[in-house]
Amino acid sequence: MMASRPILHLRYILPRINLKYSTAIQPSEVIEGKQETADLKHPDYFNVRNLFTVNDLFEARVHYGHKIGSLDERMSQYIYGNRLGHLIFDLDITAEYLRQALNITAHTAYRDGVILFFLRGAQNAHIVEKAALECGEFAHTRFWRGGIFTNANKQFGEATRLPDLCIFFNTLNNVLIQHTAIRDAAKMAIATIGVVDTNCNPNLITYPVPGNDDSPVAIQFYCKVFKSAILLGKEKRKEHHNRNKQ
Amino acid sequence: MMTKKSWNVIELLSKYKFWRNSVCTFSSSGEDSNITKQAVNVAQLETKEVGKAMKAYLERAREHDEFMKQQNYEFQVGKRHLANMMGEDPETFTQQDIDNAIEYLFPSGLYEKKARPHMRPPEEVFPQRKAAEFDETGRPHHFLFYTGNPNFYKLLYDIVEQINHLNKYEDSMLRKSNKPDPNLALHATGFQWLDQHTLEKKLVEEISEKNYNSFINAMERLQSLPYSYKAKEFISAYQKPLMSRTDLSDIPKLQYDKEGRAFITVYECRRKDAKGYVTIKSPGKGKVTINNNDIRYFHDVQSREQVVAYLDGDLNVFATGAGRARRVGH
Repeated sequence: MMASRPILHLRYILPRINLKYSTAIQPSEVIEGKQETADLKHPDYFNVRNLFTVNDLFEARVHYGHKIGSLDERMSQYIYGNRLGHLIFDLDITAEYLRQALNITAHTAYRDGVILFFLRGAQNAHIVEKAALECGEFAHTRFWRGGIFTNANKQFGEATRLPDLCIFFNTLNNVLIQHTAIRDAAKMAIATIGVVDTNCNPNLITYPVPGNDDSPVAIQFYCKVFKSAILLGKEKRKEHHNRNKQ
Repeated sequence: MMTKKSWNVIELLSKYKFWRNSVCTFSSSGEDSNITKQAVNVAQLETKEVGKAMKAYLERAREHDEFMKQQNYEFQVGKRHLANMMGEDPETFTQQDIDNAIEYLFPSGLYEKKARPHMRPPEEVFPQRKAAEFDETGRPHHFLFYTGNPNFYKLLYDIVEQINHLNKYEDSMLRKSNKPDPNLALHATGFQWLDQHTLEKKLVEEISEKNYNSFINAMERLQSLPYSYKAKEFISAYQKPLMSRTDLSDIPKLQYDKEGRAFITVYECRRKDAKGYVTIKSPGKGKVTINNNDIRYFHDVQSREQVVAYLDGDLNVFATGAGRARRVGH
């Protein structure tokens, strides 16, 4: 049973974060050969840090977890504590993980990666599909036929390019079973970002984002920020292309 | 811990050929779907190499085109041959003529029409192939491509969009305390939803029975909304009118003869393959005329009883067709 504060305390994390960002590195246009490209070593090239604040997370109810009894032990490091039997996420930790995830999303979009949005559940599926449509990416919110990644040539009847990044807005099919696509993406070495609630297993996910994965408000919030990150990446790509052409 | 891991992945990725190659020029190659137009699309790239997926597709498309060309040629030759056999001009030999010729030359008693011999243009005989679903970089055109049923799920997406739109509209009307116009309300009678087979053809996709049921449920939900008439165009695209639709409200009006007696004549009365036209006059003396005979035209008592059952006036009938009992039904 989860009772005390998590092992990974904020006071150990914050100095590291401050150190990383206090050097005030300005986004620089690195010249690779003759062509301009986004700097992969820059901590925040697309300025995704400013897409949201911790208060935005709070207002989107990202901090709500499930009841204590359903806790997956692997999630305990992201939890602040519990209130009235419900677990509460530490939003400072969540914010850092989300920013990392947004950064990788923007970089993938910049390099014309195929990004696939996932979510199971009828209530929020439309929000996710709409977000994917609006940023020119892809969505899969329906029943997962086995083998879409692992047996793609048979499934689509021809050689098919698989996504380069999968974003899971929830990682569970129902309260117990994890989405098969997480396992399949890991098998095919496809990077994954996953919003993991307190009852989820974050182990197979490349970039876990601890947070509430049930409320429509929260899903709307995630969709908004990921959409913005993708659009930032694409915009930058266009800009660089125009400049490189000249 | 986490940070270290993620940067390592980025560095690894940057070593991939794909990630390096992708920083290059754009082209404004024709983009047909309006789906991708809505978004900031930067996918069309002039990559030096065409993706593997596209290469494989182009090869298959070329093979298919060659096959269809051959089939088309054979069809044209066959058509001319048939026209010569039938002694007609091959230049003006239409598909209808071909069908007639085939029916004449190869008479078939098979019940199923599809099983009978036929000769049709190859475009109709061989199934239509989907066009390439991705661009040169292998990036799919449709945002639901990875679901495997993109057109069907896009339809469900559109239905939800319509429902959300109508709900919003209803809210705005409630705020103004307006009510939906009852005259414009959509009626479910007289129409039926496209059946599974037709929908499959329309979407060029196979649809499971479960998915078809969810389509019906979603459409019925949309139609049941108070302002569903706002989405009439969308809804009617997935409906078809029932052919034997009868308008019960349209009752023919009475006419009056010289003596002021009301009468009504109903033409084209059908009962199985018996036909007739019936005139009833009221008030009358109960005089019955059937094909210029009286009620004894019918031999059985049952038929006679049926004729006079609700009669209140004179009756005049001209009936033809098989079976006397059937004629009673008029």
